[in-house]
Amino acid sequence: MFNINSLEQQDNQDKLWDKVINYFRKRSLWMLHYCTGCGAMELPPVMTSRWDMERFGIGPMATPRQADILLITGYSSVRTMKRIIRTYEQMPEPKWVLAFGSCTVNGGMYWDSYNVINNLGEYIPVDITIAGCMPRPEAILDSMLKLMDMIQAGEAKAFRKYKENYAYYKANQDRLFMERGPVLESAALRYVHEETEGGEA
Amino acid sequence: MNRITVETLLQDLASRGLNGEKISEQQIKVFASKDNFVNHLHYLQTIGFEHLANINGVDYIAENEFEVVYQVYSYEHKIHIVFKVRIPREKPVILTVVTLWEQAQFYEQEVHEFYGIYFEGNKDLSHLFLENWNDLPPLRKDFNTEEFSEKLFGSKRHGGGK
Ligand code: SF4
Repeated sequence: MFNINSLEQQDNQDKLWDKVINYFRKRSLWMLHYCTGCGAMELPPVMTSRWDMERFGIGPMATPRQADILLITGYSSVRTMKRIIRTYEQMPEPKWVLAFGSCTVNGGMYWDSYNVINNLGEYIPVDITIAGCMPRPEAILDSMLKLMDMIQAGEAKAFRKYKENYAYYKANQDRLFMERGPVLESAALRYVHEETEGGEA
Repeated sequence: MNRITVETLLQDLASRGLNGEKISEQQIKVFASKDNFVNHLHYLQTIGFEHLANINGVDYIAENEFEVVYQVYSYEHKIHIVFKVRIPREKPVILTVVTLWEQAQFYEQEVHEFYGIYFEGNKDLSHLFLENWNDLPPLRKDFNTEEFSEKLFGSKRHGGGK
């Protein structure tokens, strides 16, 4: 028998469950910190007794397979980007990304470097960016509290964006990693050495 | 072996046709030509300069030359030699020193990667750090890193603000 009331009840129950699940989720977060940049310096005090992030239920995790948060501290080169993407894709859902430092927003002081990506959000979805060069431990803790709020409210859903807009992210990633020709015309100035005595070029 | 001082070392090298300068009590710099610098390095190795600490490249674009700098140190004499060799920019080829110091392999790979200097005799000049790189070696002065970053990473001056 079809009963509109029972459907509504079911809905409400689901919502309640979500709330409960989110509540427990946000109290048990394992963080994988991928320390690419100088900002990694600020993490030891955050984790240890001085600021002690464990009192919020956040602990460091050694493997992406068991991590909930991926924290990326600062600039990442094309080479590290490959590892970051691989790490991110290994993490089980739900997963959240904290981008730490100005370098992850617009390249920071490395904005015109030949080997450092500018905006991390173009390659993997970012939940929260922490501005600053480098951000203070208070800022990191603040972002974590904010993330917990967002999880409770069901707003921290960047990982869904990754699935929905995969084509966008993949295209950006491919631009870095796929075989490509030279980016600038000046590449023609390259010196190409030719062995004179019988060897190949 | 007698303890070598900076002064006696400079005299010794001058008699072998190498001019140099004293930088401090424990440091000198010498300038060698690209044709026979390996012999000089070999000689230095035999008189106690057993440590090759690094190889650097420098791009003197105004003079149209590259400079390859060998940092050589002696634990015995406590002297650091900055050993400089100039090569033309159009044909940046220089002999390898892997035969003297094995660790030169990585230094030479790195200098090749970032300046495009070719080390003759080095068997493996593959890239160590750059990924998927087809442009000018990035530390050359005629490589425009801002334009590159703009094209590949979409960077903007002042973060896109004014
Ligand atoms: S934002 Fe500043 S502290 Fe962080 S990685 Fe970049 S330069 Fe280093």
